[in-house]
Amino acid sequence: MGQGARFEMDMELIQQIRDKARKLLEEGVVEGVIGYERATDGLTSRPLFAYNPPATERLIFDETCAHNLVKYLLDKKGKKMAVVVKPCDSRAINLLLNEGQIERDKVFIIGVGCPGMVETNWNHKSETLQVKCRSCQLSKPLVYDFLAGQEIERQTEEETYSDIAEAEAESLTTRREFWMEQFGRCIRCYACRQVCPGCYCPVCFAERLEPLWVGIRIAPEENEMWQTIRSFHLAGRCIGCNECERVCPVDIPLSLLNRKLEKDVKELFAFQAGLDPEEQPPFATFKKEEKLEFGE
Amino acid sequence: MSMEYQPKVIGFLCNWCSYAGADMAGTSRMGYPQNIRIIRVPCSGRVDPLFVVKCFQRGADGVLVSGCHPGDCHYTEGNYHTRRRFALLREFLDYLGIAKERLRVEWVSASEGQRFSDLVSDFTAELAKLGPRSKV
Repeated sequence: MGQGARFEMDMELIQQIRDKARKLLEEGVVEGVIGYERATDGLTSRPLFAYNPPATERLIFDETCAHNLVKYLLDKKGKKMAVVVKPCDSRAINLLLNEGQIERDKVFIIGVGCPGMVETNWNHKSETLQVKCRSCQLSKPLVYDFLAGQEIERQTEEETYSDIAEAEAESLTTRREFWMEQFGRCIRCYACRQVCPGCYCPVCFAERLEPLWVGIRIAPEENEMWQTIRSFHLAGRCIGCNECERVCPVDIPLSLLNRKLEKDVKELFAFQAGLDPEEQPPFATFKKEEKLEFGE
Repeated sequence: MSMEYQPKVIGFLCNWCSYAGADMAGTSRMGYPQNIRIIRVPCSGRVDPLFVVKCFQRGADGVLVSGCHPGDCHYTEGNYHTRRRFALLREFLDYLGIAKERLRVEWVSASEGQRFSDLVSDFTAELAKLGPRSKV
């Protein structure tokens, strides 16, 4: 990007977040505030759980705050929490509302406009925008109770799924080789699952012993099983926060799986997850008259 | 016994239509290839995509999911859900390098013994032409 100046800390925005968080805690509106604070490398950020007013002074927001904090609401069910939510993360709120996982009146959403997040690593901050941010069309969260700062209109490309189309154009064997190589690297640390706001089953299929869907042996086929079903369980549910890919320690391009499904769901069922908390997700409904290329 | 390649086919048949259809094929003495291993399920809607992926992982060359014709589901609407689910899964498996021809979703009613017999013959022949799945 080469526009380092663009990413200066917006102190006014941060102050608004801190003031709001402090007020919510002081007035007892919420039990805690989930936001971002500076990580110990002094450069990147990490999630902060503020349970008392002084702790809110540690809240920040900048282009390193990539984490989707909505995930943590699943651990705080029943408690009234405030959470700092970027435009993309707000789709996760809609998803969880749609699936009855969170209650709207138990969540106070501090929305923020987003300048786009950059690629970061421990003690390292690049100026490259994350891929998901390059095609983001949202200028503000879809749902919020309080909007800190302003809406940010960004010049972004439209999502055309060109990389997916490219992969689709490869031969079957090439695709197979590509994915088996990718899956071969998977160490099944399940970080992709742990970080995903859509992955909250009390017992994951990957941990079931009876039947044993994913075996414990170290083999690309077992990893394939895990990755295939993980992404398929998110079909029509993935909201594209791309946290799974960000946390993957072996850099498997998970967005190529998730976005392939997103693209197909859009084409087949004209549906996009997380935009409307009331809309029926594609696999909860059907149309009798629809033609889906097979049968009949 | 010839040594030529014989594809392994797993068939998930719904109890109410397709399984009875297969039964009809049998009782009517219509032959169909022995390559298919049939698993009876209560409804084609019972077939979790997990089953299909697992079949492929464990070496199946093809998977058939078969249920009642749309509108005829014993549970009213199970097969409509099947249809949506597998329309997406076929695309997805193809993307991952498992040809979509290897996963078939078909509707066979209890009276369509001939149709079942033809279907399995046709599917097996197609899989034989595709050859064994390369493990890579």
